[in-house]
Amino acid sequence: MFGEDDLVRQHKGRADLIGNIIILCFLVILARLWYLQVFQGELFHKFSIENRLRPEVIKAPRGMIFSRNSQLLTDNIPRFDAIIVPQYLKNRTVTLKKLAQVLSMTEKNIKATLKKNRGQARYRPVTIKKNISLKEVSIIETENSKMPGVRVNTFISREYRDGNAGAHLLGYISEINQRQLPRYRKRDSYDYKLGDFIGQAGIEEKFDLQLRGDDGYEFVEVDARGRMRRNIRSNKLFPGIENKPVKPGNNIRLTIDRDMQMSAFKALEEKVGSAVAVDIKTGEILAMVSRPAFDPTNFSKGLTKEYWNSLVQDERNPLRDRSIQEHYAPGSTFKTFTAIAALEEKIVSAEQELKCGGTYRLGRRVYHDWRRGGHGLTNVYKALRRSVDVYFYQIGVQLDIDDLARYAKMFGFGEKTGISLSREIPGLIPTREWKLKKSGEEWQLGETLSCVIGQSFVLATPLQLAMAYATIANGGTLLRPYLIKEIFSNSGEIIERYEPKEVGKIKVSPKNLRAVQKGLYQVANHPRGTAYWYRGKGLKMAGKTGTAQVRSMSKKELFARCEEMPYKDRHHGIFVGYIPFDNPKIAVSAVVEHGCHGSSAAAPVVRDIATTYMKKYYPNEYKKNVEAQNKEYVRQLREKKRKQEALERTKKEEEIIEQGPAFQMGG
Amino acid sequence: MNRSAIVDFLKRYDFTFFGISLAIFIMGVCNLYSATHASSSEVMAGLYKVQTAKFFLSFILGAAISFITPKNYFRYSYFFYLVSVILLILVLVLGHKGMGAQRWILLGPVRLQPSEITKIAVILVLGRWYAKTNADKELGFKALIIPALLVFIPTILIVAEPDLGTGLLVVLIFLVVSFYRRLKWRTIGILVVLGLLSGGVMYKFGLKEYQKKRIVTFLNPGADARGSGYNAIQSKIAIGSGQFLGKGYLKSSQASLNYLPENHTDFVFSIFNEEHGFLGSLILISLYIILLFRFIWLAQSVPRMFDSIVVIGIMSLFFWHTVINMGMVMGLMPIVGLPLPMMSYGGSSLLTFGICTGMATSISNARNLF
Repeated sequence: MFGEDDLVRQHKGRADLIGNIIILCFLVILARLWYLQVFQGELFHKFSIENRLRPEVIKAPRGMIFSRNSQLLTDNIPRFDAIIVPQYLKNRTVTLKKLAQVLSMTEKNIKATLKKNRGQARYRPVTIKKNISLKEVSIIETENSKMPGVRVNTFISREYRDGNAGAHLLGYISEINQRQLPRYRKRDSYDYKLGDFIGQAGIEEKFDLQLRGDDGYEFVEVDARGRMRRNIRSNKLFPGIENKPVKPGNNIRLTIDRDMQMSAFKALEEKVGSAVAVDIKTGEILAMVSRPAFDPTNFSKGLTKEYWNSLVQDERNPLRDRSIQEHYAPGSTFKTFTAIAALEEKIVSAEQELKCGGTYRLGRRVYHDWRRGGHGLTNVYKALRRSVDVYFYQIGVQLDIDDLARYAKMFGFGEKTGISLSREIPGLIPTREWKLKKSGEEWQLGETLSCVIGQSFVLATPLQLAMAYATIANGGTLLRPYLIKEIFSNSGEIIERYEPKEVGKIKVSPKNLRAVQKGLYQVANHPRGTAYWYRGKGLKMAGKTGTAQVRSMSKKELFARCEEMPYKDRHHGIFVGYIPFDNPKIAVSAVVEHGCHGSSAAAPVVRDIATTYMKKYYPNEYKKNVEAQNKEYVRQLREKKRKQEALERTKKEEEIIEQGPAFQMGG
Repeated sequence: MNRSAIVDFLKRYDFTFFGISLAIFIMGVCNLYSATHASSSEVMAGLYKVQTAKFFLSFILGAAISFITPKNYFRYSYFFYLVSVILLILVLVLGHKGMGAQRWILLGPVRLQPSEITKIAVILVLGRWYAKTNADKELGFKALIIPALLVFIPTILIVAEPDLGTGLLVVLIFLVVSFYRRLKWRTIGILVVLGLLSGGVMYKFGLKEYQKKRIVTFLNPGADARGSGYNAIQSKIAIGSGQFLGKGYLKSSQASLNYLPENHTDFVFSIFNEEHGFLGSLILISLYIILLFRFIWLAQSVPRMFDSIVVIGIMSLFFWHTVINMGMVMGLMPIVGLPLPMMSYGGSSLLTFGICTGMATSISNARNLF
């Protein structure tokens, strides 16, 4: 190690150089300090005593939401809050007393609010009263000098023109909370601040970043009492200072039709449930409603505790969007897919008739048909139109559950549809593997029998049902449902346009698909179809009723009158269909919780929505269909009458023959 | 131990490093008290006590380190380097998340921040490599390859945390140490030209406007949302309004009104300037300059190349922290968020500076042993 001394000494030149560089750097720093503190010092000093430089935030107006026909669905309404900036608060007792008087509050309340916010920076405003009246605003503004530190804060509340009708779909906005702050900052890489209003559900949440725009700010000089002096555009003290212009939020045009949304909302009045209407060719959602709903406007106005509690304590959970956040056993509406699986797997052919009594026995268990006496000989058409349980039990024992699952998944069951809304759930299509994983038990054949009629494990959301039937209607293309047609800026420039998107094609022969379509048509158009009486006029509706048991029931309960059971035990009523049968345009699903029957509870909802659609978009076709239906009805009536007359005539003749010549005399 | 041995030891012991550090710290903690005492939050108002406790802990650790023979730094430098790289990988895999970045490993109650250790490890490993590889020749491109690799492996890991500030600092230390180890002027020239060209091209053509902005916010995630100009302006007002003599202790208006958001960490220097003016800063800056020159003097007084390079590395760590922090609060540099040595609040930086001071002291003490 000796002798390294020289080596170190070789580096002396560099060491000295480094020393010089250090001196140079600190000279620059000292020069800068001299410039700031001595050369400009007096200016800065004066400024720091007399003035404060404050950035005044200019809130970006939130983008608007329009219906597909460009009707405005939202509004931004200015509202006012009374605030105190603690930094500028002077003559505390007098000011607070006066303010309490103006706002008709107690001083104690105001003090408590101030105390609660003591931890934050003193230049941060503290909200004393939300939503004050214009009169209160004008008093505070004019008496400003007597209440230093008190100000009026203007903010924009978000109002929803159709109120509850769009509650879940559009969502609502409210103030961001502490917990959300870091999460949202990360998600959007946007610098949210406390006090910012953000979308908390629905479209408002998912497209918050588009709708919110970007707040601007302008630097203002304020005096020691916090009053504004002037805007600072350019200032010799602060050459680098720049104001930031506000950027308004972008607007969104939905695929939703306002009239259909309203008619769906009305059709579900006083009910608990959901309805979804989709365009079968594009996957555009035309209506999407969940009830009970809430008033989204309330949230941005400053939610009252009472209203919030009334929502949270309601056991029907009005905040949940039942169209995507709730799944139901689809009941008989699922038989359609069982039929497709059975036909494809060649377990039966369409015309093949099976004998269907009132029960089906598997081992020791007896499976009942909904109709005590059964239905007699049944092919697939009759099985669908009459919803013959025993027919499906018979094909069910031959159908592997994994095969059924494969077909169901082709139609989008068991997976999220991928709609651009948060908290969508995937529903459930059971498989052997799933069961094994979940309970560690093997699949039982008896469970297949429950699944083929859409009970037990099978679960689907109303949106999934609509999409699955849309797939049947359009000939086998599973689409991704979407809600947004386009996003456009305030100047009308299109920022993003959404196009239909195919998720997959089903692998089902056209022949079998047609057979099922025919069965679905008969459900609403065959006089013995389960939804015949709710088929509406001029719709040419095809569809399927479903009645889902809420829990397993004994035989006695099974045949009890649903309406007489306790509310919680009543069946869910489901109907899914598409119109018109020969040239399908839209598919509609409806679920009515505890509505007892798919036919009487849910089918009318679908009928109303479909009628609104046809009347609005195809008035001529609708009129023609109504006339044709009327004519057909008259024809049927006449034929019935003729048949009856003919029957009576032959009866009479028979009687005459039986009674012999006695009457002949009188004739 | 007899009396003369103690006297002998005390004579040999170099108190200057700890002495100057202590002087700066005393100014720092008084300043910290002034910056936070008016805060309405009790935690903030008590921060100066926490800082004092942390300083003495680091001081004790540094004092302990000052008794280590410098030979051991040499012996264990690669081992130390390896450990710090492993820790950096660990922190990426299972680190504790804070402020959107993963920088800590929790060891019971202790929050270990491997990027701080890495600074020291890189200085040691560079010292060993440069001292043992053709130490009598000037450095060309070829000689830079392996040291550069040794530096960039931990740097990339640090940047991935992401902690761009510390990553940048490690590279800057590398540059200073290489410069000291007689990097050829021709090589320096080529490196500067290359750096300017690639940086310029990237900035002009490679990056979109929003990407540039993102880089700026990436550098400084704590930037106030009201515009990055705001902090700098408030800081400038604070400094400028101090004038020549300052407003006086505990009289900072900018601090007590909470205008400066990070006034106890990154912006302590502005508060100091506001209260003590140009004259006060002159004294503070003089202390830093004395400390830095004492390092340079030591680097030229040691008998071994390894010790010399390590001392220069430690010097550059202090130097960059000081210059970058001062430059940013007075608007000469973008705001990067590096603490001012011994002045800013924060345990981990105090610890690093304490350890470094201890190492320098031990190197100084060993100087006369041969």
